[in-house]
Amino acid sequence: MAFDLPPPPVSAASVSAALTTTMVEVSSDYKGQKIVLYGAVFNSTDRPADVVVVVRGPDQPVRIARKVQVAGLWLNSRPVVFQGAPGFYTVASSRPLSEIADYGTLRRLAIGVDHLAFKTPADGAVETRFGVKDLVVSRLGSDYLDYRRAVVRIKHAAGLYDQNERGVTYVDKSLFRAEINLPTAAPIGRYQAEIHLFQEGREVQVRQRTLEVRKVGIERTIYLFAHQRPWAYGFLAVFLAIASGYGASVIFRRS
Amino acid sequence: MDVYLPIAEVSVNAPLLIGLGMVVGFISGLFGIGGGFLMAPVLVFMGIPPAVAVASQANHVVASSASSVFAYGRKRAVDFRMGAVLAAGGAVGSLLGVEIFRMLRLMGQGDLVVSLSYLIFLGVIGGLMLIESLGALLRRRRGEPPEAVKDRRPAWLYGLPLKMKFPRSRLYISIIPPVLIGVFVGILSAVMGVGGGFVLVPAMVYLLRMPAGVVVGTSLFQIIITTSFVTILQAGRNQTVDLMLATLLLFGGVIGAQLGARASARFRAEELRVVLAVIVLLVGLQMGLGVFVTPADPFVLAPGAGG
Repeated sequence: MAFDLPPPPVSAASVSAALTTTMVEVSSDYKGQKIVLYGAVFNSTDRPADVVVVVRGPDQPVRIARKVQVAGLWLNSRPVVFQGAPGFYTVASSRPLSEIADYGTLRRLAIGVDHLAFKTPADGAVETRFGVKDLVVSRLGSDYLDYRRAVVRIKHAAGLYDQNERGVTYVDKSLFRAEINLPTAAPIGRYQAEIHLFQEGREVQVRQRTLEVRKVGIERTIYLFAHQRPWAYGFLAVFLAIASGYGASVIFRRS
Repeated sequence: MDVYLPIAEVSVNAPLLIGLGMVVGFISGLFGIGGGFLMAPVLVFMGIPPAVAVASQANHVVASSASSVFAYGRKRAVDFRMGAVLAAGGAVGSLLGVEIFRMLRLMGQGDLVVSLSYLIFLGVIGGLMLIESLGALLRRRRGEPPEAVKDRRPAWLYGLPLKMKFPRSRLYISIIPPVLIGVFVGILSAVMGVGGGFVLVPAMVYLLRMPAGVVVGTSLFQIIITTSFVTILQAGRNQTVDLMLATLLLFGGVIGAQLGARASARFRAEELRVVLAVIVLLVGLQMGLGVFVTPADPFVLAPGAGG
């Protein structure tokens, strides 16, 4: 990544960080979890440094439809698929991102909900236009931004996407902390936490940490059974239902 | 006390689910319907993904219907042969319905079709049932004799081939009408995520002219077969049955169903039908009128992308 950038000026700024929890266990009393990230900035230069923490969950494709009114009824238009949308995404910084780095840098690093790279291959119809073959056209055209904003808005409302310009707080001059709130709706899987260090609008260092959200105990047993032996699972569900129905009718007949 | 559901992947209040199961089970036992049309909207409102709600509550319907059927069976109030014929049609219908619904969902019109089916079917059936049962109730109040039961059964029931004897119902009719009713109910149950009792009960009373005593038990027996089929199909193909959710619901459901079956003896049939008609109408309007209201957010997430 460094090859397309001029080498950073002789910089003695660096960052290190750790998550207080690296394994979130989802059991039957799971209600979401707050994870704290601690880190320190070592900066021997006189230029100020900024820390940006990005936590990204496993990708979860999103299908989104727009409601349109037809003859008094609200109907869904054909859904659009966004591939590569993370199931969880949060950015924490100590001041607005636009003050830390410019648009191009944020976009390139995919920092900020406006800069997430969504793809819509399901709509990338291949056509021949103006005599040019195999042009990929998006059906959405100028509506693309509306759809994109709607995905972010809906995910934000569910607590899955967040951008907090006060999310990184300094405990003292160099020690900082950031809180990450995982809601129950956050997907199961491996999460990446990236800790970016910026100086004068340029990324000088990035650290990666991983976090895993997994089901444990009875939750995991049921989930695995349902996915590995789906038909047996279905029969068991029906058997349990009929047995409990029979049990109740016997108990109530006696009483 | 919140509990995390492993398949639905949301956290919900456990006593609330047991209570919901009990209320729906009570209504199920009282009226001889599965109660799915009541359960699915409430579960979705609680934040459970619709696909999981529909599949898991089918399992709850199996349990509460089974609980009642064992009770009705002892009273010889179940026509097993008629139930099996209806269910055979129901199996074909639900296979068809699952395919139809899959296509509608891919076109993004699943929600619309569900809302409109609720509005049309629950509205029409609830309305007709309300008029009929209120009429019967008024005649009783005025001291008039109940409307003379038309003993002559419609000729088309007898004109068709493939006749079969249904001794429990004292019928000797062609199996074509029950099979067709079964197919229709099967399609509806796949699309709306319900057992179809609210269609089946009136169909058995008004179309097949079955004796009132066996209608409820037979309807429930048919519902067990159809919803068991749906549960296994949903678990096998879509992995959308949440055992934790289903267990909580059916725990309340089997108890509620027993209490309901008991309570049903204390009420007059017409009074029960008035109450059922009002419930059916209200749910139909509530679900169906949503498509006429301007949405707060013009964008909605469509199911089926794994998220």
